[in-house]
Amino acid sequence: MASARSDTHGGAAAVPAFTAHKILVAGGFGAGKTTLVGAISEVRPLQTEEALTTASIGLDDLTGVGAKTTTTVALDFGRITLGARIVLYLFGMPGQERFSFMWDELAYGALGAVILADVRRLGDCFPSVNYFEKRQLPFVVAVNCFDDAPSYDPQEIRQALDLDPGNPLVLCDARDVASVKGVLITLVETIASRRSARAGAASGRIATTRAPASRFGQ
Amino acid sequence: MTERPADDAWPQRESGPVVRPYAVTGGRTTGPGDGEPLTLLTVLVATGRPLPTDDPARLAPEHHRLLSLCGQQVTLADLAADTALPLGVVRVLVADLTELEAITVVGQRSADQRTGNDVLQEILNGLRAL
Repeated sequence: MASARSDTHGGAAAVPAFTAHKILVAGGFGAGKTTLVGAISEVRPLQTEEALTTASIGLDDLTGVGAKTTTTVALDFGRITLGARIVLYLFGMPGQERFSFMWDELAYGALGAVILADVRRLGDCFPSVNYFEKRQLPFVVAVNCFDDAPSYDPQEIRQALDLDPGNPLVLCDARDVASVKGVLITLVETIASRRSARAGAASGRIATTRAPASRFGQ
Repeated sequence: MTERPADDAWPQRESGPVVRPYAVTGGRTTGPGDGEPLTLLTVLVATGRPLPTDDPARLAPEHHRLLSLCGQQVTLADLAADTALPLGVVRVLVADLTELEAITVVGQRSADQRTGNDVLQEILNGLRAL
């Protein structure tokens, strides 16, 4: 073609119409991720692949499929448009260890995470807590208040999870938009205050008793 | 004379979603290769350049479907959600389309490019206003 490829579409493509930001919603099976994401935005599951386990092979007849070893898995996905140019994406992150192969991709570039905890099965969120601490990604633990769950003192739960003081733990109702909003706000506030604390420490050369600043994450 | 295979020798209809997506990519799990990696939040848009008509067998209906969703800027995640195709498949198909210059990457933040504090504040304001 003789003409240069500078058509209007090409020109318009150079300017991003919006910036995309990612927050993860992690937690064990049944902790309420789908509910939380659904409360605050449209939910359209994202499809990804999961390695077939021996348990599922009996259910799916794979004779003739050969070496097929994955099946599709639906991930919670939500989108919140904030203003004209900011879109916040929520990605459900299944907390079971067998999904850990996808955690790095999900976590790439994320602002932070909400870890949903179910006091009836608190151990289910341990892998997520460990993962985000290791990755130094800011997170908030949100204890989803199920109707039939015993109520615990938040401090007890903090101890059970061995949470650092810098990681907030809040109570929430994943079904309630206002409650979910509050959790997200707490997370973003945590990220913002950590940054200014780090900036303040750096500029004022304040010695901290904690491990190096990078401990606090992005 | 060869016998007809028993019914259970063939992939079951229920396993369609398992088999078909990678049939679309011709068994490929990676894209053309060079070019930036496509992450979940890579923003894409159609360039307006038409798809080649000389080798239609190369392109699946899914390529066209994806392209039709790129009239406005969208992320890879949006495309995967809208088409209900596995992420791996969408990534390969989008890579095909970028190689054909039918789609272009608009914005891509690298992992070490943090969201600026001003944008963080905008996110906070936006959430409070919801």
